[in-house]
Amino acid sequence: MANETEDAPTNSASESHATSADVERNPTDEDKNEKLLNDAVQFLPTDAVKDLLSKEVCLRCIFRLFGMQVPICSSLSVKSLLCHVLGEQADLHQNISSVEPNICRSCLGILQFTYCGDKERVVENESACDFAVAIAELVKKEGHQIDSFSLEVSMPPTILENENKLSLYVKRKYRSEAWFKDRSISECSSTKDALKFALTNPLETLLDVKCGISTFHIRLTYSRVEASIRIQNFVEKIEGCKRRKVDAKNCLDTVKDKSAITGVENSVVSTTEVIPVDEKSSNGLQDNEPSETHEFPLKKVNEPCRLECLCFRTPIYFGGRYLKYSRNVSQTRWIIDEERMGEASIEEIIGGNILPMCRGDSYKFHAAGREDIDVRMLGSGRPFLFEIQNAREVPSELLVKEIESKINSLENKLVRVKNLKIVGSQGWTLMREGEAEKQKQYAALVWISRPLQDEDFQTISSLKETQILQKTPIRVLHRRSPLEREKIINWMKIEKIAGSSQYFLLHMCTQAGTYIKEFVHGDLGRTNPSIGSILGCRAEILQLDVTDVKMNCFLTE
Amino acid sequence: MNDHNVYQTNNSETEETPEQAQQEREKEMQDDEEELHKLLLPNVHDLPLTPPSAIDFNFVAYFAPDFLKPGHDQYVYRHANGLCVIGLAPTHVAFKDEGGITAVDFNVGKSDRSGFKVTGKRKKQNAQHFESNTAVCKVCTNNDSYIVRCCVKGSLLEVNNRLIKQPGLLNSSADREGYIAIIMPKPADWLKIKSSLLGLEDYKRKREECFGSS
Repeated sequence: MANETEDAPTNSASESHATSADVERNPTDEDKNEKLLNDAVQFLPTDAVKDLLSKEVCLRCIFRLFGMQVPICSSLSVKSLLCHVLGEQADLHQNISSVEPNICRSCLGILQFTYCGDKERVVENESACDFAVAIAELVKKEGHQIDSFSLEVSMPPTILENENKLSLYVKRKYRSEAWFKDRSISECSSTKDALKFALTNPLETLLDVKCGISTFHIRLTYSRVEASIRIQNFVEKIEGCKRRKVDAKNCLDTVKDKSAITGVENSVVSTTEVIPVDEKSSNGLQDNEPSETHEFPLKKVNEPCRLECLCFRTPIYFGGRYLKYSRNVSQTRWIIDEERMGEASIEEIIGGNILPMCRGDSYKFHAAGREDIDVRMLGSGRPFLFEIQNAREVPSELLVKEIESKINSLENKLVRVKNLKIVGSQGWTLMREGEAEKQKQYAALVWISRPLQDEDFQTISSLKETQILQKTPIRVLHRRSPLEREKIINWMKIEKIAGSSQYFLLHMCTQAGTYIKEFVHGDLGRTNPSIGSILGCRAEILQLDVTDVKMNCFLTE
Repeated sequence: MNDHNVYQTNNSETEETPEQAQQEREKEMQDDEEELHKLLLPNVHDLPLTPPSAIDFNFVAYFAPDFLKPGHDQYVYRHANGLCVIGLAPTHVAFKDEGGITAVDFNVGKSDRSGFKVTGKRKKQNAQHFESNTAVCKVCTNNDSYIVRCCVKGSLLEVNNRLIKQPGLLNSSADREGYIAIIMPKPADWLKIKSSLLGLEDYKRKREECFGSS
């Protein structure tokens, strides 16, 4: 496979089944890489290499230990060159396979691209390219449309321990050697970096996009499969809680939390028991002297790690403003006892049109405040944010406009959307900014128990920045804390209705969080003052509309 | 501010002066406001002469005539969310005394009902649990005093403290601002008491003589 030549290499591996040959497509690239490898290998101290190989450390770990990056080549090339360096015959296959350990004691097979995949099947990839192919397949299977990707790797804490132990071992054994003094062993790269380096270029080629900071993540999570593991170190660190040693499940949960603090990778551990380890065993996080310096400090590894490969996109956000023309549509899905309240909901109407265009998994709806189901939202509309999880595709600006048009031309005309567009994470802050200070404007249809008088217009208009005290309305008292809230009514205006002496339109602007209905009818005197108390009669509210949400976000530009 | 030419109009004129753009926007805003106003104005012919009150609309009225004592007629207004507002029904014997009700005292039974505070959403844990015959307050007239009871077994969420300073509220609007207290019964307890309460029609019939025949 390594020497296959292909003419007319295709850059995008989207149509045909990608093979690693696509990656090593160019014969001159291949030669170049082999030459690089050849040169690198010359500098390796043969004795040390032999020693490490005999201790079951794999070739890539040896390379990274000596601060060298392996160019993109198949493992076969690497092995045959190494054999050559070691003075062994390259054409005997048994020799080649006996040179490298089955599973490296340091990287647990990770840098050998060996892992336990679905259904406990062990997968051994010949090269980084093969491995990359498997990953790229997953991305394509999900149907992701991407323009970049970020590669994340998570490994069990043992890996870091092993790296430290290995590097200590080499340091101690060879510190007097000339070649050691020339090269600083601390230049060695970590297992994680080595893996990322090995995979980045092949993945970039296969996916035809660059690796870097991206909303699209490819996450490789390695975990141990062994029945008993030594995580005693972490257990002891956990604030001296003795009971955790006994309960394995508790222990695991805490390990997940604490691993961030101890600075080691988060690990998903499948284990049934924790075996207490005596304190002499080295803690990979400290520079301890292992008690056994003659015995190699790494344990034999029988099984490779389990690998979970996930690819997903971080949430994308749609911002805009909505208007609600119906008095029978709730803001969010509202179901009581399996029965829907109202005939539809804003979040379902809008979300149901956005989600399929993004081919996302699900959505979350956020709005800057809310109105009752029987209150219309008119005027400039209310700002909202839709969070789409794991979108397979990010719609273009044009497509977003189409989504908006589609919603606005729905037959039932219950909802309207304005200024719909994809916003970054600043959409959040825009919405939350000044939420408490924001004012809202309303128009209420009010009835009073006596005819409207001329003075009433003046009485109402003259009240500016009036403070009212509202006890928690009875209609929400069953689910909200009984409090007394101070609210400000910024201004009010009566608009006469032709043909009626006791009905009028009350326009007003109030502080966010004011209960308007209760301000009109008084809620059995629990809101003071109220329209009734101000006008000295009984007042009732028949209809309420929100006419403006005074916020600066998602406005027409 | 010349970048306002960025605004596109339907007529797609290639050059639009800032003033024209401003005029366009103002006209658009006016149109929007007119449209909004049209939506806001109701059809006068659809409006009832007297609309149902917030209480009629949101509560169902029940009555407990002669609660534990003859003439002690009380009401229980039950909200759709399960909360019950209790108070004196218009036929309560206290209203018959000359001068009506003159004072209200919440210091009955074991503690002063006006003093406690229910905090937090978990009202059941903090609130006091009352039986239906627990005394909530005492209303006084020139002649006598009458005990007002819970009527409904449940947690006492709130008493109407305003009655202490303004006992006259009971005389003017016992069915609204003059309510006595708010109780939260458990669903099972409500069902038990409901059967012993009267609906509005039955209550009117029972107290016919007070309501007169019309």
